[in-house]
Amino acid sequence: MLTMIRAIVRPEKADQVLAALMDAGFPSVTKYSVAGRGKQRGIKIGDITYDEIPKVMLMSVINPADKDFVLETIMKTAKSGAKGAFGDGKIFISEVEEAYTISSGVKETAFASEGVSP
Amino acid sequence: MKEVIAVVRMNMMNQTKEALTKAGADAFFAHEAQGRGKGFVNPKILEGTQAGYEEAASLLGAKGQLYPKRMVTVVVKDELVDDVVQALIAINQTGKPGDGKIFVLPLTDAVRVRTGETGTKSIV
Repeated sequence: MLTMIRAIVRPEKADQVLAALMDAGFPSVTKYSVAGRGKQRGIKIGDITYDEIPKVMLMSVINPADKDFVLETIMKTAKSGAKGAFGDGKIFISEVEEAYTISSGVKETAFASEGVSP
Repeated sequence: MKEVIAVVRMNMMNQTKEALTKAGADAFFAHEAQGRGKGFVNPKILEGTQAGYEEAASLLGAKGQLYPKRMVTVVVKDELVDDVVQALIAINQTGKPGDGKIFVLPLTDAVRVRTGETGTKSIV
């Protein structure tokens, strides 16, 4: 069983998070743009409400043992300021039953991480 | 019911669509995505370096560039998962790094908005 992490982060923070994951030894990530709103129902500026705020979704599949380390890495880099702010995003975790590498056709049971997670 | 997520090469979309239909999964949706993997050397950059382009040489050691990909999501019945996965592998395999990954995730329920049907009925 593998673990899928989907993190919604601010677009301007995405590069930093990607770099942090690379340094932490988790190079494999898929990124795509999304738009959404959160608990604050978007942002109200004057009379206009913006409730489709652009964000970036980062998707990565890792070993369950590395979950906490990866979460911490994303959380640390995606937070704006020391306290964080509304709109910094969410992280969702789900189970992956099977994973395949297309180039070799092999069913993966564990993804090796380059770095050593403490 | 399972959710099959496949990240494939952009130029493979037409073949992938055809293969999915043949495998019995008619419905799917796709994202434009960018991704990176274990970080093998990009053959195009290597080619450029050998041809003597300086830009290519400066990119050679760089890690973590994102390559454009397509992310295909198919929701299928449990019995179809193996067929769909094997069809996706067969059609997308070139044997070189960058072919992509396939993930199978469990899904608890689905609803067809038009009729309100739930469960397997909503995806066939």
